[in-house]
Amino acid sequence: MSRIEALIELDNVRKSFGDFEVLKGISMFVQKGEAVCIIGPSGSGKSTILRCINGLFPIDEGFIRVGTHRVHELKSDKAMRSLRHQVAMVFQQYNLFPHRTALQNIMMAPIQVLGHDRAEVEERARKLLKKVRLSEKADSYPGQLSGGQQQRVAIARALAMQPEVILFDEVTAALDPETVKDVLFAIRELVEEGLTCILVTHEMKFAREVSQRVCFTDHGLIVESAPPAELFDNPQDPRTREFLGQVL
Amino acid sequence: MLGLDYSWLADPAYQRWLLIGVVNTLKLAALSSSAAILIGMLGALGFTLRIFWLDALIELFVEVFRNTPPLLQMLFAYFTLSTLGLRVTDPSTGLSVPLLSAFACAAISLSLFGGALAIEAFRSGIETMPRSIVDAARSLGYGRWARFWRIEAPIATRICLPGLTNILTNLFKTTSQASVITVPELMYYAGQIYNDTFRTLEVMILVLLIYVALVSILTLAMARLEAFMAFPGYGRGL
Repeated sequence: MSRIEALIELDNVRKSFGDFEVLKGISMFVQKGEAVCIIGPSGSGKSTILRCINGLFPIDEGFIRVGTHRVHELKSDKAMRSLRHQVAMVFQQYNLFPHRTALQNIMMAPIQVLGHDRAEVEERARKLLKKVRLSEKADSYPGQLSGGQQQRVAIARALAMQPEVILFDEVTAALDPETVKDVLFAIRELVEEGLTCILVTHEMKFAREVSQRVCFTDHGLIVESAPPAELFDNPQDPRTREFLGQVL
Repeated sequence: MLGLDYSWLADPAYQRWLLIGVVNTLKLAALSSSAAILIGMLGALGFTLRIFWLDALIELFVEVFRNTPPLLQMLFAYFTLSTLGLRVTDPSTGLSVPLLSAFACAAISLSLFGGALAIEAFRSGIETMPRSIVDAARSLGYGRWARFWRIEAPIATRICLPGLTNILTNLFKTTSQASVITVPELMYYAGQIYNDTFRTLEVMILVLLIYVALVSILTLAMARLEAFMAFPGYGRGL
């Protein structure tokens, strides 16, 4: 894959928190419409990669491009507004705004940040709630919803921004096993519709089924990157083999 | 009963004093409470900007006004502000009067005292905000100001309301100290009345009841506001 074609491009990205270097030179490309899973042990920098891509963490060194945005050069939230329109994120802890209903959570940013028309946004929001099969919960507050329901609202909220890319940060890690499948179902639909997705996940079976490519990270580096069948069935690196041996 | 004599209360002059006293107490409380809330919000907002010298300045302000007696602050305000030499000519009488009346000095000093406490209350609300909520807002494209007004402030307000109720009731009661610098509020006229009638106990009981009534209205209103702003998952929200 050439660099120019890629929608997202990371080159030798380094990031430290204090003395601890979390990312030690991450390079990766993601094509438009591709679903890429990032797997790896805790603390290997998976979530940090996502947060650098949408500018939540400034990087110390390297190059990040999303579409036409040179992320490493954007310094303020204001400068990143158009990037955040293009790249949405779904979090492990859902992070819905507790003082607003499910429907309002979905409508807030498109109206308040993007300045879209309220009536049009409400129609969009109701469609998205229907899509994640939560139409009847439109007027419930996050505190009244289960974890799985909150996470599906969070996915709808991300989609309401009409992004080109969605970053999923261990979105099923905090959920009950029986609600995980509802959330994975919603994500699978998005991938099949051709939305570009980067997923940090511990769901190996899901990663194998849904993604076109899997990256294995360890100690701040991408150790191995391959189509799922290849990476899971015939891992090349001993570290990948060891990790997969532990989790599979 | 107890030989209490309230016959003085029939005197229209004393009734008028009490009424003026109550009105001035309410004015002073309303003015300084509003200003204190405003100062509290601005100060807490200032802290979120994470500017080194601004943090130090706000910190200093809070420490000075929180750690000294409000009575001392009021006397200090009265004797410094009124001697600054700022005078205006009263258009109705043609006399030269100090620009800042005793009432103005009391209002300013109470506002600063309440404001210092309110900054800490609002700050507690903002700082208990989960970091992840802020991340979510940023990832949705909210800039610093929109994030503060649309997300952080509404949630923080809910969290700090009980603390704010404490501060406002205390501030209301502290208005009584303005009597010391001759502000004609309830406590001041109470003194006038018992100096006139020597019915100290009777006057004090009455004034006490008036304060209980007024402060109860305030706390009741704050409780209603709390219930109104409640949302599920936080405090009493269902």
